This record gives sequence, structure tokens and C-alpha cells, in this order.
Amino acid sequence: MNRKRSIVFSLVRGLAAILIALAVATLLIFISSEGESLAEKLAATGDALRQLLIGPLFRSSGGLNTKNLSDILAAMIPTIFTGLGVCVMFSANEFNMGAEGGALLGAFVAAMCAIYVPMAAGIHVVFCILMGAVACGLMMLIPALLKTRLGVSEMVCSLMLNYVVMYVISYLMNAHLSDKSKGQIQSYPFESTAQVPQLVDNGSKLSWGFVVAIVFVVLIALFMYRTRWGYAIRMIGINKDFAMYSGMKVAGVIVLAHVLGGVLAGMGGGLEMLGRYETYAWRSLPGYGWTGITIAILAGNNPIFVPFASFFIAYLDKGCNLMATYCGVPNQLIDIIQACIFLFFAAEQFLSRYRQRLVVKSTQEELRLKAASVEGGESNA
Amino acid sequence: MLDFLSMVFTIDFFYSIFRITAPILFATLGAVVVEKAGISNIGLEGIMMSSALFGSLTAYWSGAWYVGVLVALAVGIVLGFVMGFFAFNLKTDIILTGIAMNMVGSGGMLFLVRVITNLTEGRAMASTTSLITANLQIPAVHIPLLEDIPILGPILSGHSVLTYLAFILVFLTWVMLYKTSLGLNIRSVGENPNAASSVGISVIRIKYIAIAFSGAMAGLGGAFMSMYYAMGWSQDMVAGRGFIALAAQAMGAGEPLGSMLAAMVFGFAQAFGIKVSAIGVDSNLVSPIPYVVTILGLVVFALVARRRAKHQHSAAALEKLASKA
Repeated sequence: MNRKRSIVFSLVRGLAAILIALAVATLLIFISSEGESLAEKLAATGDALRQLLIGPLFRSSGGLNTKNLSDILAAMIPTIFTGLGVCVMFSANEFNMGAEGGALLGAFVAAMCAIYVPMAAGIHVVFCILMGAVACGLMMLIPALLKTRLGVSEMVCSLMLNYVVMYVISYLMNAHLSDKSKGQIQSYPFESTAQVPQLVDNGSKLSWGFVVAIVFVVLIALFMYRTRWGYAIRMIGINKDFAMYSGMKVAGVIVLAHVLGGVLAGMGGGLEMLGRYETYAWRSLPGYGWTGITIAILAGNNPIFVPFASFFIAYLDKGCNLMATYCGVPNQLIDIIQACIFLFFAAEQFLSRYRQRLVVKSTQEELRLKAASVEGGESNA
Repeated sequence: MLDFLSMVFTIDFFYSIFRITAPILFATLGAVVVEKAGISNIGLEGIMMSSALFGSLTAYWSGAWYVGVLVALAVGIVLGFVMGFFAFNLKTDIILTGIAMNMVGSGGMLFLVRVITNLTEGRAMASTTSLITANLQIPAVHIPLLEDIPILGPILSGHSVLTYLAFILVFLTWVMLYKTSLGLNIRSVGENPNAASSVGISVIRIKYIAIAFSGAMAGLGGAFMSMYYAMGWSQDMVAGRGFIALAAQAMGAGEPLGSMLAAMVFGFAQAFGIKVSAIGVDSNLVSPIPYVVTILGLVVFALVARRRAKHQHSAAALEKLASKA
């Protein structure tokens, strides 16, 4: 199959996955919509769908809604990072699910540094986020070393670690670190020097973290496709035995993939915490890790596509929120839509007949060309 | 210290181990069978959540607990087939299929419970805790004779029907795996699908059976969670038990009996945590104990397995030397 055809195929396939997910969503919205008669229900469904698909970008008058757009971009900050982290780990064929706990840990450590380690403006925020990233990288050493040394499943180990991290942080907050003068469990406010400056000041919390995220997309893409280490990670993901016999230090590279994934997830958590909030008040796992997995799948583990996938998910999320606000459809619909897209995107055999047809067509064309050139050659002779 | 021990290790502490172990044990048995067929199903968590919801809802609608349990079982099987369809027919990576199932299980079910209760009860509820009343709870069984034995009686008797079923199923699963042709097929598909297929076993059919079995087990575990362990479905109620089941499977070397013991270690750790927090220790400090124990258990298991492999290796080498001499 030539290059153009394979691009067409992946586009068609992606669109089909999204359409199926939207069809499922429409069905669910229809079931949940209010209304006495069928017509009323249909109208309500149409309304909800409009909010979901068009609402995030355009006002009802037709103009571009910049506030919503900046909301979406702001929501992309943590998920770009977790998405990149998952990309790196999944590229090595390591199913580490710890980005979830990692983002929480990164946010917590960054927040603590922002409160208890006063520093000069400028360095402070960088220091906080780096500490969060380092803490998370160290956390990923646990599943990485257990996997490479003892063969313990990194998946189960990292899933368990998520809960451990969550409860230990809850304990620390409850017992030692919370601001007792407040009604709910929250930390003392961050030092102003530790806050990530905002890009636009409209309440969307679109901070410079977004720019950092985009820079990291480029850096990680270069790392994965232009360095020895990135090559080793990808090669191990494709064929571990081959990589080992060709002399790569497989264990070391696997540890590197886990730690780098962790560093990225922790950085995302830290940037989100210091860019969006003034105190630490997270009570449970933030969900960015799971979203990161969806994003990595949509991006096909290619860092360059991560921001697009992240934008897509943030857009849908915003749409679901609008739908919940204006049409009364519960916003957890996003999870069902995500799961559907996810399943069909990752399905190798999805639309395989269509691909088959494309392959056949390409081959026939090639054969015809060959035959033509052979004939042409004969007539010349 | 002795005071502390006598406060923790009471009769109801040992009783609670069985209660806490049961839902994990169901999921663990599912994990054992499905792993034997060479599939790792990390969607057990999501299946448990989904069947817990539908079990509690149908129990409420029908007014009978057993309807709820049967529906939970059926939902588990159906979701197992759905996972199978994506994983085996559409060739989605099985891990990703599991993750998608977990998304449906957490957020998706919260969506559904809101929508469904809005339609049937007239208000959108975020949990079904108000719907499940004591008479819809899975009933407890008092075993005559056994319950009269001091200490042992109150520990082993008076559990719910499903608790006993979980432990009986350990034996039945063992029988199924090692004494029936289905079990042989499942094991052979897991060990070498090509060899299995060459002797005429339909690999995909066996895989479907295995994943549906794991779904059924997770379904029973879910029913136990929402209709006995807790009253009704609420978000995040399964709290990683599906994942712990995978760990228990690995710790038990994939055998039904060993995995049961591993699941009980987890039950013990959690019962201990609950007891200690009742004495006054911060519950957030004891809640991670089961998860830490799971990681430690995996490490210990890996060390033991590695050591055993080394021993076998050296024993084989010695034998070779001896036979040469």
C-alpha cells in the first residue's frame, strides 16, 4: 500500500471510531434526555449534541468563544505531560499505569516545596516543579527495578502504588500538613514566588505551563526519534529479544523508560497544581494518568500527535461539561465516549476488510503499471 | 502490646477476614482461569463495578436478592464477551480493552446510575445506597452444629451465601482446570495456542469461555460488593479489588488454592487495617496496608520462584554430572 493510501486509511479509521463513539453517545443522550413526546426528546437530544460538539468553540450567536478555547487549552496542560509519559513507557512495551499516582505525587511534592521551601522569585517555581518530577521519577523506580530484577508485573505493581501514594498523601494532609483554620482539608497557601505565571488573565488558568508542555512535546519527540536512547526504547518495545541479542542494555533502558515517564507525569501534576490552584486540596487520584493512556493510544505512542489527542479529549470534556450544565446530561458521558474511541482506535482488525481492499487496489495498480512498462519495453525493442 | 493484640485479634476480626476476602476471591478465581488461557484481564475492576450497579438496581426493582445476583452474574458474562469480541475478533490489545472496561466501570456507571434513576425514581442519584435495604441483602447462612463450636463457630458460621460459594468455587475451579477436558483445553491454549489449535481445539472458543468465566466471577464479586459488603452501589466502591485479584493470582502462582491463600493474606491485611483504625489510628495510614502487602507479596513470590528455579537448575546439573560419572 502506498503512503497516500495508508494515510487515507488511518484517517477513515479514526473518523469511523469517532463516529461510532458519537453514535453511542447520541443514543445515551437520547435515553437520558427530558421530554414527553418523541419530538421533544429528539429536540433535546439535538440541543445536547450541539452543546457537546459545537458548544466548546462557538457562542450561540456564532462568534468564537475565546474563554472556552482558553479553558480547553488550560485543561490540556497536565494531560499532555501524562500522555507523553505514557507514550514513552508504552513505547518500551511497559504497561506502567502509575501516571495516575505519579501526577498526584508530583502535584503534592511541588505544592509542599511551594509552601515550605522559600526561594527567590524565578527559581522557586522551577525548583518546585523539578522536585515534583524527581519524586515521581523515583517512585517509578519501584515498578521498574522490580520488573527488571525480579520479573514482577509492572502493571500490577504500579496500580497498587497509585493507591499507596494516594493514601499516604491523604494521611500526611490530614494529620500534619493541613491548614487547621480552614473548614476543609487543604494546605497553607503557596508562596507567590512559586506560582506559574498566567498566559491570559481571564480566569481560565491558562498558564505558561502550556508553553512548557509544547516545548516538552518537541523535546520528547526528538528524544524518541533522534537519540540513541529513544531508539533503544522503541526497539525494545518492538522486539525485546532482538534488542537484547543486538547488545542493548535492555534492563537499563527499561528503567530509563519508566523513570522518564514518571518524571513527565510528575511534572504535569506539578505544573497543574502551581498553575491552577493556590492551595493543595486534592482528595483523590486526579484521573490525568488514565486520560494520558487514552491520549497515548490516540496518538499511536507518537509524541508529536500527543497535543492533538489531548486537545480532542479536552474539547470533548468541555463539551460534556457544557452539556451537563445546560442540558442536564451527566458529564460522565465523557468516560463512555472515551472508552468507545479507545477500543476502536486500538483495534487492529477494525475495518480490516477496507484495508484489504485498499491493498488489493494498490497491488493491482502496481501490476498494471509493471505490465504497461514491460509492454512498453517490448515495443521499444 | 498484649493489650493491643487482644484488642485486634478478636473473633469478629477473624470473621471479617472471610467477609473481606470473598469479593477478592471471586475476582481472583476469574483471574486464575483467564491467565491459564494466556490472557491478562485487567478489566475485572470495571466488570465488578458494572455488575455491582446492575445487581443492586435489579434487586431493588424485583425485590429479590437472588435476582440481583443472577443479573450481576449475567452482566459479568456479557461484559466478558464484549471484551472478548474486541480483544479476539478486532485484535485490540487485551490490556487496553481492560482499561476501556475500567473507564466504563467507573465514569460510565456513574453516568448510567444518574440516567437510570432519573428515569425510574424521578431524581438523578449518584449511588444506590438508599435503595438496598436489609431485606435485599444477600442472606447469611447459619450452619447447624458448626455454629455451636466455640470460637471456630462464630468465625466460620453466619457468612453470606456468596461467601461460602466463593470458597466452594475455589475447589470447583480446581476440578474444572485439572479434571475436565475443558480445563485441559484452557491450559493448553494458554501454554501453546498453536499446538492446541493443531490438535483441533478451537482456540478462540476456549478464550471466549475463559474470559466469560472471569466476567462471571467478577460479576459475583460485584454483586457481593453492592449487596452484602456495602449496601448499594457507590462510586469507587470496588477500590482496586479487581487489580488486587491480579496480584493474588500472581502471588498464588496461578493455582486456585495458592491464589485463595494470597487473597486471604490481602483480606487479613485489610481486616487488620479496619481494626486498627477502629482503635483510633488514622484510617489513611492503615488503608494503604493491603496495597503495600500486595507489592511485598509479589516481591516475595518472585524471590521464592527465582530461588526454586535456581535449585532445580543446580539439581539438574548435579544429576547430569552424576549420570556422566
